[in-house]
Amino acid sequence: MQRRMKVCLAASGGGHLSQMLKLIDSWQGYETFYITTAEIVKEQLQKLGKVYVVGECNRCSLLRTVKVLLCCMKIIFMERPDVVISTGAAAGCISCFLGKLTGAKVIWVDSITNIERLSVSGRMVRFIADLFFVQWPELTAKYRGVQFAGTVI
Amino acid sequence: MIFLTVGTQFPFDRLVKAVDAAAETGRICDEIYAQIGDSAYRPLNFEYIKYLEKRSFDDYVEKASRIISHAGIGTITMAMDNNKPILVMPRLKRYGEVVNDHQVAIARRFEQMGYIFAVYGTDRFQQRIEEFLSFVPRPRGNNAEVVIGRINKFLSEISI
Repeated sequence: MQRRMKVCLAASGGGHLSQMLKLIDSWQGYETFYITTAEIVKEQLQKLGKVYVVGECNRCSLLRTVKVLLCCMKIIFMERPDVVISTGAAAGCISCFLGKLTGAKVIWVDSITNIERLSVSGRMVRFIADLFFVQWPELTAKYRGVQFAGTVI
Repeated sequence: MIFLTVGTQFPFDRLVKAVDAAAETGRICDEIYAQIGDSAYRPLNFEYIKYLEKRSFDDYVEKASRIISHAGIGTITMAMDNNKPILVMPRLKRYGEVVNDHQVAIARRFEQMGYIFAVYGTDRFQQRIEEFLSFVPRPRGNNAEVVIGRINKFLSEISI
C-alpha cells in the first residue's frame, strides 16, 4: 500500500499559528504533525495531531537559534515529511530549509503583518519554496515567484 | 463590558488616557476592563490589570461586547474570530510606542475591508468613539478559500 503523504506544519505561537490554522482545510486526509514554539499552544494543537514544541528563537539570539535548529533537525530527520508548510517565523524558516534538505516540498505563507516587504524569514525561504503566498497584492510586484491569493484572515 | 487591551510589548499611554477621558465624560457608559501592559498612565475610571494570563485574556474577549485595542494583528484577528466589533488605534513610532509604523498600514487595510473601526490619533478620538459604539463590522466569508484551494491542489498533485 502506498504511504500516506506526511505534512509538517510549522508556525510560531500567536499570530503565525492562528494564520496557519485558517488553512486547516488544505491538508485534510494527509498525515500531519506540528512544530511550534510555545508550550502554551500545545494543548490546543494536540487535538489536531502530533505536536513538537521547539522553543522561541529569533535572529538576535544565536544560542537559542542553534538550540531550535538542533531540535528541528531531530524532528525533521526523524519524521521525514514530504511537505513542510509554514506561516513563519524563524522556527518555521528553519523547518523549511531542513525539510528541503531532506527532499520535502516547501510551502510558505508570509504573515499578513508584512506589508511593504517580506519577512526576513520569507526573504530567505523564497529561494527554496515551491509555493509562496503573500497577503498583500503589492508585494507580488516587488518579489518574483510570490503569489497573492487573498488574505487568510 | 468593553475590553481595552494595548498588548504587552511597549506602553501605549495615549490610548489608555483617551479611553479614560471617554469614560470620564460619559461618552462610554459601559463598564470597561483594561489590560494596560507597561503603560505608565493609570486610568481612574475603570479597573485595569497590567497583564492577563492567556486564558483570562480569552475570557475577557469572549465576554466583551466591544473591544478597544492597539492595531496588533493578534488582537484584531481575535476580535474578528469572535465577531466582536473592535476599535483600533495604531501605535506610532514617533511616540516611541512601536519600532515602525506597520500598525497604521494594518489598521487601514482592515478598515478598508470593513472589518474594524480605526482611529488614527487622539484628536478626534472622543467623537469617533461614539460612532464606534454603533459600528457593525462587515460579515466575513472564508477569506482563506483561495489559498486553501491552491495548497490543496499542490498537495494532491505531488501525492500521486
